[in-house]
Amino acid sequence: MFALVLSRIAVMVPNVIILTFLLFASVTSFLGTPAAIMLGEDASPESVAELNARFGFDQPILTRYWNWMSAALSGDLGRSYSTQQPVARMITDALPLTLELALWAILIAFFGAALINSATFMKKSVDRFTSAVSIVGITVPNFFLGLLLIYLFSVQLRLLPTTGWSPWSNGAVQHLLHMILPVATLSTFYFSSFSLVYKAEYQAVENSLFIRAARSKGLSEARISYRHILPNSILPLITYAGLSLGQLVGGAVVTETVFSMPGMGRLLVDAISARDFPVMLAVGMVIIVGVMLLNLVADVTYSLVNPLVRTSA
Amino acid sequence: MRKPPFRLILGLVLLAVITLVAVFAPLIAPFHPTVTTVNVLAPPSAENVLGTDQLGRDVLSRVIYGTRVSLQVGAAAAIVAVLIGAPLGLIAGFFRGWIDFFLVQIIDIFIALPGLVLALIITAMLGPSVVNLAVTLGVVTAPTVARLVRGQVFVVREMVFVEAARATGASPFWIIRHHIMPNTMRVVWAQFAINVAFAIFTSASLSFLGLGVPPPAPDWGGMVRDGSMFLPILPLLSLGPGAAVALTVLTFYLVGSSMNEAASRNDR
Repeated sequence: MFALVLSRIAVMVPNVIILTFLLFASVTSFLGTPAAIMLGEDASPESVAELNARFGFDQPILTRYWNWMSAALSGDLGRSYSTQQPVARMITDALPLTLELALWAILIAFFGAALINSATFMKKSVDRFTSAVSIVGITVPNFFLGLLLIYLFSVQLRLLPTTGWSPWSNGAVQHLLHMILPVATLSTFYFSSFSLVYKAEYQAVENSLFIRAARSKGLSEARISYRHILPNSILPLITYAGLSLGQLVGGAVVTETVFSMPGMGRLLVDAISARDFPVMLAVGMVIIVGVMLLNLVADVTYSLVNPLVRTSA
Repeated sequence: MRKPPFRLILGLVLLAVITLVAVFAPLIAPFHPTVTTVNVLAPPSAENVLGTDQLGRDVLSRVIYGTRVSLQVGAAAAIVAVLIGAPLGLIAGFFRGWIDFFLVQIIDIFIALPGLVLALIITAMLGPSVVNLAVTLGVVTAPTVARLVRGQVFVVREMVFVEAARATGASPFWIIRHHIMPNTMRVVWAQFAINVAFAIFTSASLSFLGLGVPPPAPDWGGMVRDGSMFLPILPLLSLGPGAAVALTVLTFYLVGSSMNEAASRNDR
């Protein structure tokens, strides 16, 4: 087990270094030097060169990457060009919201997909329902689904708050009320792909011999489904859910914009439109490290649940 | 020859309708898509079926013209994905060994990263335009195509006719060109429609975030973004173009998934 984690980390570290270097190199070289942006288009070449020298932008890219990375490792991500705030502070302000949104969405989609698709009563209607939701989740873009839900539940029925969000400090009820629509938007997509993965495995396990044995023993259908088929068909879903946590960040960017929530997605979109390098780099790095860590966690969880992988690793 | 599934027929009919709308947009649309008028934010009426936007442009006409932009971006992105992804997959699958290990490492890293965020950063660097958008979305989709081709090459390269070609002294390049490639392309084309769907979906999301097709071109994602401010009073301003995105993505998804199913059935 320990060896498995170590070998995964050994692959992860170079990947993180290469990806963050690619990010750093592309962001800093394609967008022009920060000095040119700060001084505007009319700046004389001399003043641009002077500012570049002062901030060390004229050094070779490897040196600059090293300086940025070593500062980042000690918790200093620089200051935002547009708000002048420390970037590390902006990240720690925005991250909890995005994590909470992603966590709710993935938990609801995961347990929803496993429990609903294992239902033993009204099998036909349940199957039709999950197929319909699946098609919606795969083909309807997040921003459209979000707006539809806002229009239905907030504008027409006046049941839920329109947009924005309310921090925990304003009361848990308000907070959770504001969370319902964004979480519903985000989890619909994941529910559909999770359903497809789980259903395929469920049907394969359903036909195996030990299920026939359980049935001939006289167990109830519900007990067979939830105690015998579910635990044996959940493995692929765990792996898949772990891998899709990374993709969830993309959906979160759009969802946060629709509901104007101040999370990581908003931070990235605003930074890109303002050409705010330090923020772009920092958000990019958090996403890269986060995705790699999540893949590691998914790998380890998988091997904990499935001993076969452990021995072969 | 078995009866084609209902989903494929529905998808193809929708595809035909959407293509006709795109081709004959000037004949179908009642108004010009980019000329502004004083008739701003008009509610839906017989003349302006979906109403007019904040610059007085007819929303229905803009949705109709928007079909062109979406189909162009979607198709171009899917072609770029095949042009980049298929050669990588062929090389990785055919030569195996360290080339394969190296390429798979890169492919897996890019598949793990969120496609939308990758596309956001690349378009931010290249600047927004229809061409850049198509290239970006193609690059983002390419790893998936490479993975698919590599898997198919693994199956094909063990077949007897490849061994026969090798025995007669054919060069690796000849074998790839004349034996492996024709037998892997079927899977690629089955995936093609899915890739178009992904590209349209993602380009609309980028435009919604303000980083896609630049204005004043009639683009669905941008229209949803502009219209969403008026959601409580004029819902069709944003929901109309949003529905167009969903319907187009659904069309390509129906075609692609039923072709995929047919392809995997033939493999068995």
